[in-house]
Amino acid sequence: MVDFELTPTDEKLLDSAHQQALIARGYADYYDKHEDELPPREFPEAAKFPDVVTLAAEVPHSSGPRILHALVMSEVEYGGMGLRRSKWGLGNTVLETVATPEQIEKWKNYTIAIAITEPGAGSDPANIRTTATFDRETGEWVLNGEKIFISQAASADAAMVFARFVAPDGSRGMTTFLVERGTPGFTVGPQLKKLGIRSHDTCNLLFENCRIPEFNHIKGDFKSTMSVFNDSRPMVAATALGVARAALDFTREKLTERGINLDYRAGSRSRSAIVDKFIRLEAAHEAAMLTVMRSKWLEQQNHPPKVEASIAKAAGGKAARRITQGCIEILGPEAVAECYPLDRCFRDGRIFDIYEGAGEIQRLIIARVILGYTNRDLR
Amino acid sequence: MLQDLAAKALRPAARVADESEAISPRTLAELWATGVIQARADEDAPARTCVTNAIALEELAFADASFAIAAAAPLGFLSAIAAHGSAAQKKKLLPLFADDDYRSASVAIAEPDFAFDVSAIRTSAVKTRNGYRLNGVKGPVPLAEKSSHFLVIANLDDKREAFIVDRNIAGVIIERKRGIGLRALQMANVSFKDVELAGDALLGEAAGCDVQQIVDSARVALAAIMSGTSRAVMEFAIPYTKERVVHGAALAQKQVIAFRLADMRIETDAMRWMVWKAASILEKGKVATREAQLAYTYAVEQAMWIADEGVQMLGGHGYLRDNPVEMWYRDIRTLSVLEGAVGV
Repeated sequence: MVDFELTPTDEKLLDSAHQQALIARGYADYYDKHEDELPPREFPEAAKFPDVVTLAAEVPHSSGPRILHALVMSEVEYGGMGLRRSKWGLGNTVLETVATPEQIEKWKNYTIAIAITEPGAGSDPANIRTTATFDRETGEWVLNGEKIFISQAASADAAMVFARFVAPDGSRGMTTFLVERGTPGFTVGPQLKKLGIRSHDTCNLLFENCRIPEFNHIKGDFKSTMSVFNDSRPMVAATALGVARAALDFTREKLTERGINLDYRAGSRSRSAIVDKFIRLEAAHEAAMLTVMRSKWLEQQNHPPKVEASIAKAAGGKAARRITQGCIEILGPEAVAECYPLDRCFRDGRIFDIYEGAGEIQRLIIARVILGYTNRDLR
Repeated sequence: MLQDLAAKALRPAARVADESEAISPRTLAELWATGVIQARADEDAPARTCVTNAIALEELAFADASFAIAAAAPLGFLSAIAAHGSAAQKKKLLPLFADDDYRSASVAIAEPDFAFDVSAIRTSAVKTRNGYRLNGVKGPVPLAEKSSHFLVIANLDDKREAFIVDRNIAGVIIERKRGIGLRALQMANVSFKDVELAGDALLGEAAGCDVQQIVDSARVALAAIMSGTSRAVMEFAIPYTKERVVHGAALAQKQVIAFRLADMRIETDAMRWMVWKAASILEKGKVATREAQLAYTYAVEQAMWIADEGVQMLGGHGYLRDNPVEMWYRDIRTLSVLEGAVGV
């Protein structure tokens, strides 16, 4: 039977996540104004609450850990940031997916950032210019190049770096290296000055004759390494929709204060332009959230989503743009002043259709699937 | 089975039905034979099947929206009787729809006035010594001439109620209104001029009924039908744009087209999940007003966009009446202003 209801245990966990988000919101506003400061691993209030992100994967009597995890992440982003900083980076997922048992053993407790994007290679990682050359004399790899827009750059213990290699036998290709913090020749730049998500740790990385031992060569093929994004896409959409929902809730509160109530019974012809606009934005949120649920539900049924993950990401990214822009339009002049959290939601909400595969990349993937095209047929 | 019927029998009959402004007896018999409608008339069958009905309506609408409404109209009527009727009303009406022959009936909510809204109905009923007197105009009502009954939503002492009205009763006047789309449904305005109703015409009798639930069910059904027709547009545009070569490459190989097709897929998926969610709440007998509103609002917005882009991708061919997107474009515009009339 088709059922969209959550179990009582799920509701309880989400409620706790929501309470935490309301507290975290204050910190998000602080770090929005102090972007050079790195938030602590944990805020003092965290001690009073369960670690919902970890619990989501383990809670018994759940509607499903994958779905719950997405809903919890949506709540965390509702607050703008978590009370606890995640120890997990996308580099960890790469490590777990493709590394040898010895490599996993060595770095399993590290926070590992992922470093793919370069000044000339964002949506198209095939353009990566960072090189890794093997030094026969020392048996080391020598990395040279620049990575930009790297999340968790300053707080991570290591970075999983994508590079072109030239092997001793002259063969070439794309591969990954784990580079630990403090390795000579590896520099983390200052925090980037961004439109939003200013509490997020984002820097550029520089590799200048950076020498890496052979043991740090994580020999995943490009395709399986990139597959980590299949899981993360609907999660990014879930977080995008957390920001969008914060904007919607704030706007609804303001409308209610003015005595403008949302009547879902009436039809579109008897409501004001403001109420009509709000209901349309709310519908856009619901629409995108359900594509996320669909993708996560498939994961849960052991049918790894393909096109559905991209559908969720495209829908979530687009909805976050439309909703945060639309809420400001509804509230007018008051909203363009620094009127937290709407001002921050508007700026934060713009990233989700850009990072982890821009909306255009998702549409490219979806279109190839529905048209039966290869990446040569449609590029 | 439904997909098979949709592809082999219903889709090929759609254009003829549109041009002749009539659904053939054979098509009506095929729709009836699906059993979707009678299942609602069977008191012993599992009472609530809103999600299944929503899925069925999407598949029927994938073949043709008029045909889907021809099923959804009696379905809406029966659902309302089954959900809100008194024991006597169910006993009297439900068996009429258990036969082997197509029979129509409609919920009549909409009124032919641009200022109409489901929250501001003008049709009214007053209490009389023996029952009620009904006055007002409803429309567009699908298959009005073929209907044996209408469930008329009217105000009674400032509260919306539903009245079961026999089509043959004095004062019921049916007037055909040709429209932009859904032409096979022979839409009509139905006027009620001092129609005298017996005391048992009030749905739910003394208890009355929850009219909002009927409205919610109608919104979900229409959203389901709009997802089906939207999917039809998308699945028609895909092979065409792959085949059509412009400036040396298939249209579909151009991102401006491919991305719009991708958006069609995103939106038809989203529309469907919204329908399923609202229908699953209705199925549990809970209040789905918000979810039904959101599903309907989103479907209206997206379906028109999809039909519009569908015509554009087909170019001049899409403007010709021998091409189905020409009809879907008209049908979707009509569906999106047809609040009421149907149900899951």
